[in-house]
Amino acid sequence: MIRIENLKKAFGKVTVLDGIDLSIEPGEVVSILGSSGSGKSTLIRCINGLERIDAGRITVDDFDVSNPKELAEARKRSGTVFQLFNLYPHLSALRNVTLAPVEVLKRNAAEAEKEGRALLESVGLGDRADAYPAQLSGGQRQRVGICRALAMKPRYLLLDEVTSALDPEMTAEVLEILADLTGRGTTMIFVTHEVAFARSISDRIVFLDQGRLLVDLPCETFFAEDGGMANARVAQFLSKMRKD
Amino acid sequence: MRYADFGPHDIVLLLNGLGVSLTLFLTTSLVGVVLGALLAVVRYYRVLVARELVTFVTEMLKNSPVLVQLFLVFFGIPALFKIDVTPFEAAFFTLALNTAAFVYVIVVSAVESIDREQIEAGRVFGLTRWQVLRHVIAPQAVAFATGPLTALLVNQLQVTSLISVIGVVDLTKVGDILNMRTLKPFIVWTVVGVLYYLAAKIIALAGGFVERRLTAHSAWKGL
Ligand SMILES: Nc1ncnc2c1ncn2[C@@H]1O[C@H](COP(=O)(O)OP(=O)(O)OP(=O)(O)O)[C@@H](O)[C@H]1O
Ligand SMILES: [Mg+2]
Repeated sequence: MIRIENLKKAFGKVTVLDGIDLSIEPGEVVSILGSSGSGKSTLIRCINGLERIDAGRITVDDFDVSNPKELAEARKRSGTVFQLFNLYPHLSALRNVTLAPVEVLKRNAAEAEKEGRALLESVGLGDRADAYPAQLSGGQRQRVGICRALAMKPRYLLLDEVTSALDPEMTAEVLEILADLTGRGTTMIFVTHEVAFARSISDRIVFLDQGRLLVDLPCETFFAEDGGMANARVAQFLSKMRKD
Repeated sequence: MRYADFGPHDIVLLLNGLGVSLTLFLTTSLVGVVLGALLAVVRYYRVLVARELVTFVTEMLKNSPVLVQLFLVFFGIPALFKIDVTPFEAAFFTLALNTAAFVYVIVVSAVESIDREQIEAGRVFGLTRWQVLRHVIAPQAVAFATGPLTALLVNQLQVTSLISVIGVVDLTKVGDILNMRTLKPFIVWTVVGVLYYLAAKIIALAGGFVERRLTAHSAWKGL
């Protein structure tokens, strides 16, 4: 379980996250919505320990990310997929996928490679395993990014706008893979602007507004007139998203 | 032998001089590259004070003439500490440190040119700082740095000629000796110049070869 209690984060004098409480149970798919600048990426970066938190507590399976000794364990349990892929450009697609399993989990290189190839195969990149990131399309790169995260067999998958750097066709191919993952019971925290997709895969929707967690509701309730839509900020956000 | 014409033994003399120049160049380059890279690693680990100290020393080394540094080491340090320093020791020490200072700057900027995002990716997947350095930063930094390093080394080879001033019998000093004896400066300095040129060319070609190998992964970027 990922547990976030009274999380506060500021950059200088600007408060970006202001008392967030949120728990995610294994197997859940939680989408995080909110307008630009509301703090979604920062929340993800706090969970995976890329930002130091100012107050509150975040635990991943009871490992406290603020504790340097526990952070390594916490990180083994969560995998991140980045908006801009963040692949290692000097390594082939396959080596991008196997680096952490071999170095961090101390997996046998040949085994890791076999699993890596199988993962790449499963996202339709079986024949591109030896290509470098620069030789791949954006959609292909993001599929490698997803494989890289899955190779660590994480309990929790953190995804921050993983399709927003992709054109519609590539977005569709990546979303298809993610939909497939939810079908297999992967826990996901999914930051997105793809409201329709979020609605189709999520168990719960969380809405952030100016660093505050405004709404946390089951998916169907969130989109109901007397549920999330009853909140003026949510209604405003959703109507704006529909227009885009 | 005074004012004698060239003889076959002069070839041996020239090759000996070239040998001294290359030995000094290769050893100081090796020490300089290793030391400069180590200092850059110290900076990466953000060791307190060390960073300021290294910056100060490298700034001094980069921004003062090598000849002055050489005089300081050869004349100044023995006078101050009452120790003996041979010309070769002084030359070695000065050139190694001078090379290290420039290598440090090159390596630091190569490390800084790597996207922070990839480093974050490595950290998020649980790689330690050392593993990130070893598997993500170093391979790319080496590729970035090879070009500037090659240019630096070609230059440092030329700089070795300064040591003839304190009496090391390097290629330039041999040229000087032959010139005094034969009084044929045009021939002597042409031959010496060509020898330096050939050595420099080999360094440049080797550097170019290594760089192409290391940057093979970006060949498709069309850069
Ligand atoms: N490293 C940083 N230094 C200073 N301010 C930052 C930093 N990172 C984020 N911010 C600020 O924090 C706020 C929240 O940013 P964040 O990236 O979390 O928003 P977001 O909800 O992910 O937005 P978007 O939908 O555009 O990705 C913004 O005002 C942003 O300018
Ligand atoms: Mg964001």
